[in-house]
Amino acid sequence: MTETMHPNQAAPVVAVVPFGSAPLIAAKVIAAHVSGYLNLAVETLPPMDIPPDALDQGRLQHNAASLIQAIEAMPLKDYFKIIALFNVDLFIPLLTHVFGEARQNGRVALVSIFRLETHVDGSSPSSERVLERAAKIGLHELGHLLNLLHCDDDRCLMYFSGGVDTLDRTAFNFCRYCRTALRRALAKPWHP
Amino acid sequence: MIVDDERIIRESFFHWFQKSGHRVATAASGDEALAKLGETPFDLLFVDIKMPSMDGIELLAAVKETYPETMVIIITAYGSIESAVQAMKIGATDYLLKPFKPDQLSLLMEKVIQQQKRQSEFDYLKGRLEKITRFDNIIGQSAAMTAIFDMITEVAGTDASVLLAGETGTGKELIAKAIHAKSPRANLPYIAINCGAIPDTLLESELFGHQKGAFTGAMQTCKGFFEVVNGGTLFLDEVGEISPKMQVDLLRVLEEKKIIRVGSRQPVAVDFRLITATSRDLEAQISAGDFREDFYYRINVIQIEIPALRQRREDIKLLAEHFLKKFCDETTKRVDRISPQTLKLLEAYDWPGNVRELENAIERAVVLSKSRILNESDFAFLRPPPAASLPGPSLREMEKYHICTILDRHGWNVTQAAKALEINRVTLHKKIRRYQLKPDGAAKR
Repeated sequence: MTETMHPNQAAPVVAVVPFGSAPLIAAKVIAAHVSGYLNLAVETLPPMDIPPDALDQGRLQHNAASLIQAIEAMPLKDYFKIIALFNVDLFIPLLTHVFGEARQNGRVALVSIFRLETHVDGSSPSSERVLERAAKIGLHELGHLLNLLHCDDDRCLMYFSGGVDTLDRTAFNFCRYCRTALRRALAKPWHP
Repeated sequence: MIVDDERIIRESFFHWFQKSGHRVATAASGDEALAKLGETPFDLLFVDIKMPSMDGIELLAAVKETYPETMVIIITAYGSIESAVQAMKIGATDYLLKPFKPDQLSLLMEKVIQQQKRQSEFDYLKGRLEKITRFDNIIGQSAAMTAIFDMITEVAGTDASVLLAGETGTGKELIAKAIHAKSPRANLPYIAINCGAIPDTLLESELFGHQKGAFTGAMQTCKGFFEVVNGGTLFLDEVGEISPKMQVDLLRVLEEKKIIRVGSRQPVAVDFRLITATSRDLEAQISAGDFREDFYYRINVIQIEIPALRQRREDIKLLAEHFLKKFCDETTKRVDRISPQTLKLLEAYDWPGNVRELENAIERAVVLSKSRILNESDFAFLRPPPAASLPGPSLREMEKYHICTILDRHGWNVTQAAKALEINRVTLHKKIRRYQLKPDGAAKR
């Protein structure tokens, strides 16, 4: 893998990286939403290979913690935050699956569209709905990277959505408190 | 606290709860968990059922024996349901089959929070928090008080902010409690804070709570009264003492119904009914620029003016007899009644300290009384000094009064009195003659 450097190191740039066969369109939609909602420079990078060690042979799912660790070790240090997009099923040992994962104040967030492509009743949503869900997860996880916690307001993007139905009910909006917290987090100086 | 011998599970839990704003600790064994419980109280434990040395069931039993208020949720794998059932019998709050769906964990946490809320209400009802005084305990039959009772009944059912205005000792807090007790929030906490008694910085921390490390000495995250009141009623006494900065903060809370703990950025939704009280003239304070007009209108949705005791003298007899019975019961002293003359004296007195002063006066009289009837002599401490004994407003009257007092103090020894007055004896003699002062005091004043 080649070292990826961003030419303008002064402004924080968010990288959205599709892994494996994750659709580039979803990465672009996430990038557009991050740029639009948070006024951040965003770059969509070319697809990368999924770190092979992250596949749990017992569960046949990809371990989110292992993926974060592997991506953090990748030569992407010039990017402020990284949103990694997958179309494989992600899990954390505690839970059956996750739509996305990020550590508080971390650098790497994961988004998986694997379970976003199905409704609760098993039917298939429109591609627009899937992209909308992916963008919501992307913004939610980026919120965690900016040190935001889950919000009690079910109309806020930082509200914890355990299922796609809850996710669909969540508005495309951060509540005013989370917006304030985001503004404060983004006002802090950042050095690559 | 997460108790699991698998590091990966502990970390997984840790990160999940951290993102939800919970304080989380982890322990790799039952022994470590018990050691940590000995140092810090924990609300909730997630315990894996299968652990080396001390297993989850043994840990659960030990926790329930020593810390019965701590909730324990057992984490178990498929195939060990029997153990989970056993755990429930011992006192586990619930059990989770791992891995579980994300929704399950959030629903479980909601359930736990509800259970804690119920426990908190129960503790409150047991008397941990301030005891609710019944509406019936407000004494008064005057027209002014009857109107207030009607007002209490009317406003109690609403969520409107109430401002109680009245002199000190008129019973503002009693009325606040009555509004709470009559309201739909009656089964939830009632918390009273005297804003005048708490420094501004401390008041902020007390009301809004603080995050661990928010300031020197903030050793752990602490909920403020806005959170602790948890759906109940918050009574802010002496609201006129609140600084302009705090008024702005409170105004925001009243408008948003959300607070941010000191040192935190995370808003927390709060639900409370606000009752405020003041003995000051807030409108005068607004004119003087000491009180924010917007805050005043926010807290003053409904104002109840509580009359001073001297404005409802017809209630004095009723109140005096109520306090007599109360203190007789408390002190087990046998005092049957207050004499009619004494009641007249009490009704004639102005009671600058209002009902509180009357209560204290009756208590003092009951404690010191040597008879079964309270007489005028038992309330001698109430009598203001006779007007005749005070000097008049003129300098001449004041001088006459002062010379007489000093002469009395020195037993009419003119030499010593002159020395104390820093004048010579001849001058003092002249003044004694001029004012016609005599040792018996007959012509003194």
